[in-house]
Amino acid sequence: MINFSFDGKAYTAQEGDTLAAALLRNGIGLVGRSFKYHRPRGIMTAGVEEPNALVTVGEGGRAEPNTRATDVFVYEGLVAKSQNRWPNLSFDVGAVLGLAAPALSAGFYYKTFFGSAKKWMFYEYFIRKAAGLGNAPTQADPDRFSHRAAFCDVLIVGAGPAGLQAALDAAEAGKRVILVEQDNILGASLIRDPQELDAAWIEVTAARIRAAGGRILPRTTASGYWEHDLVTLTQRLSEPGQVPANSVAQRLWHVRAGQVILATGSIERPMAFAHNDRPGVMLSQAVRSYVQRFGVVPGKRVVIATNNDDAYKTAQTLKDAGAQIVAILDARPAPAGANSGHRVYNDAVPLLTKGARHCLKSVSALVDGKTMEWDADLLAVSGGFTPVVHLHMQAGGTLDWNEDAQAFIPASSRQNVTTIGRAAEPQAIFKMVPVSSPKKSFIDFQNDVTLADVDLAWAEGYRSVEHLKRYTTLGMATDQGKLSNMAALGRLAEKQGVAIPEAGLTTFRPPYTPVTMGLIAGAGAKDAGAHVRRLALYDLHAAKNPIWQPLGYWFRPRAYPNGGESLAQAAMREAKAVRNNVGMTDVSTLAKFEVSGPDAAAFLEIICATTVSKLAVGRGRYTFMLREDGFVFDDGTVWRLDENRYLLTSSTGGADRMATHISYVRQYLCPHLRVSAVNVQEHHAGLAIAGPKAKAVVDALIGTPAPRHMSTEPATIAGTPVLVLAASYSGERAFEIYVDANQAKAVWAACEAHVQAEGGCLYGLEAMEFLRIEKGHLVVGGEVDGRMTPHDLALDKMLNKAGGYIGASGLVRPALSEGGRRQLVGLEAIEGDIPEGSMLIPREGASPQGHVSAAAFRIIEGGSVALGQLVDGFSRHGEILIASSPTRGQKARVRVVAPHFYDPAGERYRD
Amino acid sequence: MMLIPCPHCGPRAQSEFIYERTVDSVVPLDAPSQEAMTKLFTRNNPRGVDDEIWRHTYGCRAWMILTRHRVTNEISGCRAIGPEALL
Amino acid sequence: MTEVTITTPPAAPLHVFEIWGNPAAVAKRFKAAMGFALPATGQSGGSDALRLIRFEPTVWLVEGDISALGDVLAEDGALTATSGGIVRMRLSGAGWRTLLMEGGVFDAESPTFAAGCSAATIIDHVNVRLHVVSDDACDAYVPLSFSAGLLHFWKEAALSL
Repeated sequence: MINFSFDGKAYTAQEGDTLAAALLRNGIGLVGRSFKYHRPRGIMTAGVEEPNALVTVGEGGRAEPNTRATDVFVYEGLVAKSQNRWPNLSFDVGAVLGLAAPALSAGFYYKTFFGSAKKWMFYEYFIRKAAGLGNAPTQADPDRFSHRAAFCDVLIVGAGPAGLQAALDAAEAGKRVILVEQDNILGASLIRDPQELDAAWIEVTAARIRAAGGRILPRTTASGYWEHDLVTLTQRLSEPGQVPANSVAQRLWHVRAGQVILATGSIERPMAFAHNDRPGVMLSQAVRSYVQRFGVVPGKRVVIATNNDDAYKTAQTLKDAGAQIVAILDARPAPAGANSGHRVYNDAVPLLTKGARHCLKSVSALVDGKTMEWDADLLAVSGGFTPVVHLHMQAGGTLDWNEDAQAFIPASSRQNVTTIGRAAEPQAIFKMVPVSSPKKSFIDFQNDVTLADVDLAWAEGYRSVEHLKRYTTLGMATDQGKLSNMAALGRLAEKQGVAIPEAGLTTFRPPYTPVTMGLIAGAGAKDAGAHVRRLALYDLHAAKNPIWQPLGYWFRPRAYPNGGESLAQAAMREAKAVRNNVGMTDVSTLAKFEVSGPDAAAFLEIICATTVSKLAVGRGRYTFMLREDGFVFDDGTVWRLDENRYLLTSSTGGADRMATHISYVRQYLCPHLRVSAVNVQEHHAGLAIAGPKAKAVVDALIGTPAPRHMSTEPATIAGTPVLVLAASYSGERAFEIYVDANQAKAVWAACEAHVQAEGGCLYGLEAMEFLRIEKGHLVVGGEVDGRMTPHDLALDKMLNKAGGYIGASGLVRPALSEGGRRQLVGLEAIEGDIPEGSMLIPREGASPQGHVSAAAFRIIEGGSVALGQLVDGFSRHGEILIASSPTRGQKARVRVVAPHFYDPAGERYRD
Repeated sequence: MMLIPCPHCGPRAQSEFIYERTVDSVVPLDAPSQEAMTKLFTRNNPRGVDDEIWRHTYGCRAWMILTRHRVTNEISGCRAIGPEALL
Repeated sequence: MTEVTITTPPAAPLHVFEIWGNPAAVAKRFKAAMGFALPATGQSGGSDALRLIRFEPTVWLVEGDISALGDVLAEDGALTATSGGIVRMRLSGAGWRTLLMEGGVFDAESPTFAAGCSAATIIDHVNVRLHVVSDDACDAYVPLSFSAGLLHFWKEAALSL
């Protein structure tokens, strides 16, 4: 015995019960309220196609709304709640919406949107409150979700008789086999029809599959079929809301299969008649499942409505279980069902059900032209069988029409997939047409779509099945139309006067059944799986508790606040230390490439738009790279380390893009060159020491005079070999020191000690930004935004006159250097602080002529300054503009100046 | 997610690869401006088979030309490209 | 439960050995100097003192002493240090193949991926290079920056294989 609760009341279930079986076992027929009209709804099916019995299972962050009661197995302590009702399930205020049903008919939303916005605002308040399903949990899910890959020769979906046999054959033929079954036990149709095979067959077959090396995954749904026979499986390792045994709640499998066999069976169809959604109306095979599998008999006085032979098995099962079969309404003419031993009415089609206190009371039908009525507490219906072709269609398959079964069956596919069993050969049925009033004759139970809605859509001119679907919302609920699509298609074909196959089909899209968001996120939902990038010196930075700045996957120190300092205060203190004294920062993330070989210089002169070959050994220079269309896409420095060996650096954010670009140029465009270009971004940890005292610090560290500006020398710090590059981004005398990341800690510690001894400090990205803006240095992603040419950035004088670099042929286009382009400028505030990202306008209300790409405060002198792009900016120095950010409600009056606010002559960093 | 037959590694998942461009949009290093811009901005975009350049970025890092049907994703060929030193 | 443990052996010198021409001549000089063949794509060769693992058509990852390799390359290729950027982790125990399927896309469970085989692939969004040491162990060469996160991910995943 298992204890569980439903709407706060305690119940018990039997081992192996689904929640639906347990509710029926406890005599609970009313389980939910419908989406739109709040009609009372019960349990209709015994499978994943259940449209009505949607509940929220679990509590807190584990709560899973819209769970089908037929697709959750009861565990000790399960907590389930009904949805879409207020104040409670049996008395629901929203049910008055049902009385207003005509106002909510097909196309309601479209018609309302078409009216005035005011009208919609009025409706929206009530609709948002009333319509809908369960509520999403507000707390984080405490469980983990796993993504796992698998490979096999044969993937079999569905462990019914056909699927089990196919898996056995493949496994015993020596193939790598995976068999998946969405239920928690194997057998599928054999569970409700156990007499059809020897009782031990399922277990014996499963054991043989496993013995042959096959993998069987129960409680696993093949939910998507993607390109090249990739199938995603969603595996429940714990039930919805349940605390998982080893913290993983669900697993998403990505299975690449050599061949896929679909043994997905069929789904029984309901019939359309008035009040066919009442609790107590169930599908015939579902009734059989509850009796055979769970020992629950859902009714005592039963009417069965059918158009096929299968429902007679239900009649026999119910009779054996002690229920009374009041009548079998067989749509087929006599002598169908004549020898069944039951009271059979031929040419009988259901018209209407009546109920009392949310239970079924009676069933009426049109029998051979006459209306008859029977008292009953259960109506089992079988309207035929729809093969489960979802995966076949997701794989890009086509369908054939099977007239005997009135069903679509899988035909060809461009992928390696075959369908077997009932999904390929559905049972024959008798074609029937609904005769009852279309009102309240539901076809899509979950979205409350009736035959009348289809008729209305038709009357309003909707002819295509795709339009019908969107207008009525048919098939768009969480059950994706598993029960409804064929009924709608039948009605549409009838209206069009064509056969069903000519009416067309809507698209089958993954997932086959709903998938939780946590499963899609996988391990990435938790910090464990986010896989962010850590600096080699992470521990040393973390010990100082900096403010971290994310940059792609990287996290870098933005500032190192002392005591109660704010970010701005800390950054300004750090920047002042660099201007007045000395500072040190981590530059490890810069992109770095070591380029060697006899053709290294030639190769670099293709990548870089500046000259490279003229560099002497031990010298370096600033460089930048163009796209093929002539626009600047990155910049950095290039250093000649040896006769045939260079180091190229470029921006952190563009590192992966640059690695791909370099590889493309080397491998595709220049395969003949004798060059090796290796990405050494992470091999070297790097630090920069900058400030008036930087040279003294570096002299002391390396024990020899530090290299002069734009020179490089190998050296030793703390007994570790390092590479010292003299280059300045801050505008002060500065050095970059690179070291094998494995040995970086000792070097960092030695450098920091020397910097501190001189009264300096560490600085982060924020201070670096202040320093470089004041100096007018570019940043990729800021000033270099993919729309600027070398001319726009005043870099054109550095272009390699000999050409031959990537982008040279794009750059010659006249429009790239003509007037009217945005050009790099500096901006000085006359009044107010310049808002970052603001537009530059000559006066209020005028069109923007440019924008502010980066703003800061001058470090020593104070005052707001910025870099920006301005139309014809080079010739507009001295003009007064407004930098306006309406979104922030900020603006400043600015003067256009040269983009060098600090040491324009560059005297501070030279020797 | 496609399965791409890398000439060096065998069939591998698409997520190990990065698409570069179609072969007909490659700009040769010595292309005159007019030709370069035509290559860049005038594409064939056939509804059918095309030759595409892919890189096995997270695998062997090599480049290849994939012949792919752009509607059905059927891959009818994949050949290695790059330096002569490919063993 | 499937057992797998993850250890981080001490860093060994790692170099990129890349050739740009005369592959046959390089292979011949290599065999003559080192006593074993330059490994083919997806294979490794050598011993713990010097191992070459081939992940790319023209590139081998060299673990160990490279002093003899400069002459082997001569004018046909170059060596570049890369030790700092890569962390080697050893996945040991019967469960290493299963562990590699977590977040992965590569068939590490294939029996053909046996001792001496190498492969580069992606785990979630992290580029990981694998070298099978034995049936019970596989080395993973992981970018330094991602290594802490991946180690954490693997240790968590190993608890619920």
